[in-house]
Amino acid sequence: MESNAGATETRSNVTVSDGGEVAALESLQFTDEIHRLISAPATDNASSFTALLELPATQVVELLHSPESVKLIVASAPNVEDFKGSFHFPSNTGLIQKDARFSVFSGEGNNKNDKSNSPEMTSKNSSANLEKAVKSEPAETASSLPLVSDPTVENRNIKRKDREKKVKGSTKKSKPATNESLEDAEKLPYVHVRARRGQATDSHSLAERARREKINARMKLLQELVPGCNKISGTALVLDEIINHVQSLQRQVEFLSMSLAAVNPRIDFYLDSSFTSESGSTMDGGNFPSLVTPLMWPDVQVNGYRQQFQHQWHFDTLKQPIWGREEVCNNYVTPENSLLSYDSSANSATLHANQLKMEL
Amino acid sequence: MNNPHHLNPTSLKSRFTTRFLRALTKIRAQKPISSSSPTEIFRRYRRIKVAADKSMAYSVRSRRIWSRAMLWKLRSRSYRRQDPCSGRRSGKTSQAIMKKSSNENTTTRREDGVGFVEEADELRQLVPGGETMNLCNLLDETAHYIKCLTTQVQVMKKIADFYSF
Repeated sequence: MESNAGATETRSNVTVSDGGEVAALESLQFTDEIHRLISAPATDNASSFTALLELPATQVVELLHSPESVKLIVASAPNVEDFKGSFHFPSNTGLIQKDARFSVFSGEGNNKNDKSNSPEMTSKNSSANLEKAVKSEPAETASSLPLVSDPTVENRNIKRKDREKKVKGSTKKSKPATNESLEDAEKLPYVHVRARRGQATDSHSLAERARREKINARMKLLQELVPGCNKISGTALVLDEIINHVQSLQRQVEFLSMSLAAVNPRIDFYLDSSFTSESGSTMDGGNFPSLVTPLMWPDVQVNGYRQQFQHQWHFDTLKQPIWGREEVCNNYVTPENSLLSYDSSANSATLHANQLKMEL
Repeated sequence: MNNPHHLNPTSLKSRFTTRFLRALTKIRAQKPISSSSPTEIFRRYRRIKVAADKSMAYSVRSRRIWSRAMLWKLRSRSYRRQDPCSGRRSGKTSQAIMKKSSNENTTTRREDGVGFVEEADELRQLVPGGETMNLCNLLDETAHYIKCLTTQVQVMKKIADFYSF
């Protein structure tokens, strides 16, 4: 039917010219389109994946058959040299299902460069690159159209994975464009993992690499937060430092709450607004006597400050309801009552609050 | 001495301070301060500590996993105090919810492919609600938790200094 016709069409196309390059060309054409598709809905979340799926529906069906066509070519065509690496093309069908979730789209740029060198590179690398190319297109469709994988394909899968793991191990240390990929992982809500050149494009390794980069970024932030962590190298020790810091902070909170419970308040709590206005200024012990003194001789100060604090009548609205509450607390309201008795009572209240503000 | 730049009224510090001060006044209003036996002080200490945690968690609302977990803990504890039988119910539901969330994150033993399992577990015990987080979220939550703890300590230190001059 249609699919067979399509397969035969592509097959005939491919057998006419060089197989590997045509596959690369086909994939090149589609990668451009896919690039455009990706760049448009880049801000979407997971829905972008389905959006990408819907749009190139017809082309996708064609693409779907390109690996199958290559499979047929491998079986029929005697051009062994070009297809030295293509023995692993069929394995794509099995891997594509796994790869569907991880968009290798952003790796297109690298793939293009690699594909141009593919004929000259070793079979291992060429297979990896061409697989990248072919994998990237059907990757979108795999989730919607399940592909059949042969048992022979699975065997090749395993062999290829082993070799890729070796590749991954050897090239793990080289990290070109690390920052770029880190930015990609951090900026976009949809994780576009850049498959670095020469590194494994295994879906698991890609996901792991993305996660590791995220974790490393967060560890750096934590190192900045915790004092004394910048000099330590080695993430386990840094984590130990972080744990110690959190424990010490929790203990400090407990200790402070104990001291707050034990202390006898001499001045009562009407300091909400004044406390909220405190910034990082330190509180010295020397400031406190000046806090106490306004209570003693407020009239002199009040007359002096009356004009200054006229504009802060808004404090009254804050103060009065709190005042009403504090009336319930018996003994400690007397200084405030004495303050209230003065005709400029509101001003004295604001004065006190402002004094506190300034000290704090 | 003048502070030309007043604190942002919507910052974490100011929110926590207002809430905590209100809670402190409530606590002080409840009991007369004259009785300073150790048991009284201890009881007040527990209440103040709970008030500090609660005001911090409320200042962060539900934006963070650790604040949600802390609010949950506090609520279930208060329910358990008020009514023993309803406490059982709430205990069960909270357990069910915790189990469900941990099942969503599959294994409890998180071998994430990075070798920090012991430290990560310890951190999970420290940060409230940490058991249900993978390493990535755990580090995020730890950073925010450290920031909130430092503000808490700062404010409480200032209050304590103010009252013990």
